Amino acid sequence: MARISRRKFMQVTGVSAAAATGGLAGILATGRAPAYAQATTVHWIRWNDFVPASDQLLRKELLPEAEKALGMKITFETVNGNDLQPRITSSIQSGAGPDLFMLFNNHPHLYKASAVDLSDVADAIGKAGGGYYPVSSGNCSADGKWISMPFCIVGAMNAYRKSWFAEAGFNAFPETWDQYREAGKKLKAKGRPLGQSLGHSFGDPPTFTYPLMWSYGASEVDKSGKDVVNSKEMIESVKFMTAFWKDAFDEGGLAWDDSNNNRAFLSGTVSSTLNGASIYIESLRKPDQYKTEKDTPLKDDIAHAPLPKGPVGQFGMHTFQSHLMPTYSKNQKAAKDFLKWLHTPANYDKWFASQKGFATGPTTDTEKNKVWDEDKIMEPYRVAGKLGQVPGYPAPTGPKAAEALSKYIITDIYAKAVQGTPAEDAVKWGEGELKKIYT
Amino acid sequence: MIEGAKWRTWVYFRIPLFLFLLFLLFPFYWMVITSFRPDGELYRPWNAMNYNPFFTLKPTLDHIRYLFEETLFATWLWNTMIIAAASTAISLFCGVLAGYALSRLNFPFAGSLGTGIFITYLVPQTLLFIPLAEIIRNYKLGDTPWSLILTYPTFLIPFCTWLMMGYFKAVPKELEECARIDGASRWQAMLYIIIPVAIPGILSAGIFAFTLSWNEFIYALVFLSSPEQKTVPVGVTSELIRGDVFFWGPLMAGALLGSIPVALVYSFFVEHYVSGLTGSVKG
Amino acid sequence: MAVEAVSTTLGSAPPPRRQRLLEDERWLAFALLVPTVVLLGMFIAYPFIRGIMLSVTNSRVGVEGEFVGLANYYKVWNDSIFRTAVYNTFFYTAVTSVFKLALGLWLAMLLNRNFRGKAFTRAFILLPFIIPTVLSTFAWKWMFDPTFSVINWTLYQLGAITGRINWLGDPDLAMASIIVVNIWRGVPFFAISLLAGLQTISPELNEAAAIDGAKPWHRFWYITWPLLLPVTMVVLLFSVIQTFADFQIVYVMTGGGPANATHLFATYAYQIGVGTGLLSEGAAISLAMFPILFLVVIVQLLYIRRVEVR
Repeated sequence: MARISRRKFMQVTGVSAAAATGGLAGILATGRAPAYAQATTVHWIRWNDFVPASDQLLRKELLPEAEKALGMKITFETVNGNDLQPRITSSIQSGAGPDLFMLFNNHPHLYKASAVDLSDVADAIGKAGGGYYPVSSGNCSADGKWISMPFCIVGAMNAYRKSWFAEAGFNAFPETWDQYREAGKKLKAKGRPLGQSLGHSFGDPPTFTYPLMWSYGASEVDKSGKDVVNSKEMIESVKFMTAFWKDAFDEGGLAWDDSNNNRAFLSGTVSSTLNGASIYIESLRKPDQYKTEKDTPLKDDIAHAPLPKGPVGQFGMHTFQSHLMPTYSKNQKAAKDFLKWLHTPANYDKWFASQKGFATGPTTDTEKNKVWDEDKIMEPYRVAGKLGQVPGYPAPTGPKAAEALSKYIITDIYAKAVQGTPAEDAVKWGEGELKKIYT
Repeated sequence: MIEGAKWRTWVYFRIPLFLFLLFLLFPFYWMVITSFRPDGELYRPWNAMNYNPFFTLKPTLDHIRYLFEETLFATWLWNTMIIAAASTAISLFCGVLAGYALSRLNFPFAGSLGTGIFITYLVPQTLLFIPLAEIIRNYKLGDTPWSLILTYPTFLIPFCTWLMMGYFKAVPKELEECARIDGASRWQAMLYIIIPVAIPGILSAGIFAFTLSWNEFIYALVFLSSPEQKTVPVGVTSELIRGDVFFWGPLMAGALLGSIPVALVYSFFVEHYVSGLTGSVKG
Repeated sequence: MAVEAVSTTLGSAPPPRRQRLLEDERWLAFALLVPTVVLLGMFIAYPFIRGIMLSVTNSRVGVEGEFVGLANYYKVWNDSIFRTAVYNTFFYTAVTSVFKLALGLWLAMLLNRNFRGKAFTRAFILLPFIIPTVLSTFAWKWMFDPTFSVINWTLYQLGAITGRINWLGDPDLAMASIIVVNIWRGVPFFAISLLAGLQTISPELNEAAAIDGAKPWHRFWYITWPLLLPVTMVVLLFSVIQTFADFQIVYVMTGGGPANATHLFATYAYQIGVGTGLLSEGAAISLAMFPILFLVVIVQLLYIRRVEVR
C-alpha cells in the first residue's frame, strides 16, 4: 500500500517537473514565434490621463485606425504617472520594454544616453506646426538633437471659485502674491482655504514651487550653471511661503498627490488650487454631480488665472509631456512612423479636442486651434506654452536640473519650512542637496 | 476553559476578541461599502452635513461592472493565481526538502549552509532589482509569468526552509527512530512519518508564501508590461489610479474581489491544519 | 532541472545502491538541498554580486560607470535624508514588531479556545493579510485622507476632536499612520503562526498543571511560552526582516513625504536608484542596509540557538 502510493508520488512529481520544464520551453518557443509571424508591434506607454476620455479615444478609435493605416500592431499601456520613471529605468537596464515612453518635463535629459535621435521626425513636425515653443526645445533637445518628441503642454493655472473670491472682496483673481495671501487669509477664516500639494508628486508641487522661487528672483543655479539657491531672495520666498501656508492653505496639502487637490476642489473644501484644467473639465462632464453650496452647477463658478506676480515678475512652469524612444527598441522605424502618424494634424487634433484644453500642443500653431474659441473659461490655458519656464532656469536645462526635479529638492525646501524648519536651515539643506548634483 | 464568573469570559475573552475583530476587519468593511457606494456619495468631505460613511441607501454595481467590462480584471486575477500557485509550489518543494535536511540530518557544513540560505533572505529587493532585470532579459523571460514564477522563490524559499526547520525540530526524534526500527528507510521515514506530522507547518508556510507572491508589487511592476500579463496589484493600481475620476469604487471592488477567492481557500486550510495537528502528534 | 535531478535520484524502482546512498545522511542531505541551492544561486547570489559591483561605480541609467571606490558610500553617509531613513527604519521595525508580537500572541491565545464560529473567525482574521498590500494600503490612505477621512468623521461625531487631524501631513502622525497599517497587516500572520504553534502543545500539560493548582498566568509563563518560543522566534525573525525592508506601505501612503520625513531604506533606495536613475547610489543605499540588518539578525539567531539548546 505504502509502496504504491509512494510510486504514485514519484510519478506525480516527475510529471509535474516535466510539465514545468516543458512549459518553460513552450513559453520560450511561443514567446518568439508570434513575434516573427505577426506584423511589427509598437509598444507605447503613457500615464493614466487625467482626462480619461482621451485614453478612451486612443484605445477605441485612434489606435485601431493607426494599426490599419500603418499595418502594425500597437500595444497601448497606461500606468500611474509617478511609476513612469521606475519603468523606464528598469527597461533601459534590462534592454527590453516599451518602444515609446511618455516622460514628464525635463526627464528626457536623464535618459539621453539611451535615447534615439528623433531630429528627423521632430524637425518636420515642428516646421509644420509653426515652430516649437522654447519650452519644447528646452525639455526635449540636447547637444543639438531631439532626444524626445514633444507631445503636449499641460498648462498649470489656478482654478478658483469666483463667488467665494467675490465674497472676500476680490472680484478678479489677485495680481500679486501678497494680495493672494490676503485673499487666502479671509477665505480660510471662512473655512475655505486654498489648496496646494507639497508632496512628492510629478505635477502640482513643482509647478507651484519653481515659479514661486523664480518670482522672488531666486533660482537653483545662475546663468552659468553655478548653484546659487542659498540666497537672500530664496530665504525671503521661503519665509513668505511659511506664513502664507499657515494663513491661507489647507494643511492637508503636505500629504497630497496630484489628484487630492482635484477632489478637494470638486468637493468644495478648497477655494483655489493650482492645477491643469482637469478640475473644470470634470465638472463639465458631470454637472449634476458637482454642485455649489447654493445648488448651482459648480462649473459656472470656476475661473482660471495664472500664478500671481512676485517681486521680480510673474512666472509659470507647465507640466510637459514628450515621447522618448529608447535605443534598445527593435521597432524604431515603425515607432517613428507611428509618431509621424500621431502628429499628423488630422489625427493629433482629434486627441487634442478630446483634451478640451487640458493640454496644449508643443508648437505655436495650437494657439489658433478652434478648441480655444469654444469656452472662454479655458482662455488662460491657450497661451500656457508661451509663458512657462523649464526647471533649471535661467540656465539651460539638462540632466542635473532633471535630477534635482526628480529628487523634489526645491519642493522639499518649502515643505520643510512649512513644517517648522527655519527658512535659513531649509534653504541650507537644499543647497547641500543641490551641491551633490552640481559638482 | 475559563473557570469562574461570567464576567471573566467577557473581560478576558469576548471583549478583547471583539476589539481585535473590529480593528482587523473595519478596513475590510470600508472596502465593501465603498465598492457599492455611488460616485456621488464618495466625495463628501469628512465634516460635511448629513454625511453617513457607514452605509449607503443607494447601492450600485457600477464599480464592479466597470472593473470587468472596462479593465482586464478577470485576466489579472487568473495571472495572479497561476503565478502565486506556481511559485508557492516550487518554494514549498524546495523548502520542505531543505528544511528536513538542515534540521534532522548530520552532514558537514550543515550550519553554515543553513545560515547561507538564510542570508539570501536579507539581501534587499531594491538592490537585486536592476541585476535581476538583466537576468530576465538574458533568459528572455521578460513580460512572461515565468519572470515572476522564478524570481518569487528567491524570497520565499528562505522563509519556507526556516519555518520548516522549526516545525521539523519540534517533532520528537523517537518518532523517526521507531519507524527506522520497524524497517523503514531514511527516505520512507521522512516521507511517511515526519512530513505528515509537519503538515500544519507546511500549510502555514504555504499560506505565507502564497500571500507574499499574491502581494508582491515591485517585481511585477517592472518585469511585466503588457496589460494582459499583469497581476492584480499592478493592474488595478495602474488602470484605476487617475486624477479626477473617483477611482475608489472600482479600486476597492478590485481589492475585494481579488481577495475573496483566496479567503475561501484559506478558510478551508486553516480549519484543516488547526484540527489535524494535535491528532497526528498524539497518534 | 533541479527538480529532475531529485526525481531521477529517487526513481520509482530504486536499485539497492541508490537506496544505500540515500541511507547515507550526507548524500540524502545533498540531494535534498540541490534544488534550493541552484535556485538561490542563480537568482540571488549572482545579482547580489552585480549589485555590489554597481555600488562602487558611478553608473546611472543607460551609462556604464567607472570605478569610483567608496565615493557613493561617502556621499550616502553625509546625506541627511539617508540618516532620517535609517532612524525611521529602526523605529518603524522596533515599534511594529513589538506590537505585532504582543497582539498576535494575545489573539492566538484567544483563538485557541473553543467557541461558536471559531472556524469562521479564524478564516476572517486572515483577511488583512490576504488582500494585496498595495490595495489595502490605498483603502487606509483613503481612511486617512486629509479631506475625506472617515476616522476624523468618527472621532468628530464622538466629540473627541473639534478640528481635523492631519494624519498624513504631519511627520509624526504620518509615521504613526504607517505603523498602524503595518501592524494591521502583520497581526494576523503572527496570530495564525503562533496558533499553529499552540496547537502542537498538548493540552494535557496545561490540564495537569491546572489540577496541581497553577494559576493561568503561571501556566502560560512556565508551560506555554517556553514551548512556543522556537516558533515565536522564527516568526519574529522573519517579520523583522520583512519590516526592515518594507516598501509598499510607505510608497503608497506618503511616498516618503512629507518632505522625506517617512522614508525607509527601501523607499529611499528606490527613489534614488530607480526613480532618479542614479543606479550606483541606489545600490549603495540598499547595501548600507545589509550589514545593519545582518547584525540584527545575527543577534536574533544566537538567541534562537540558545533557546533551542535550553
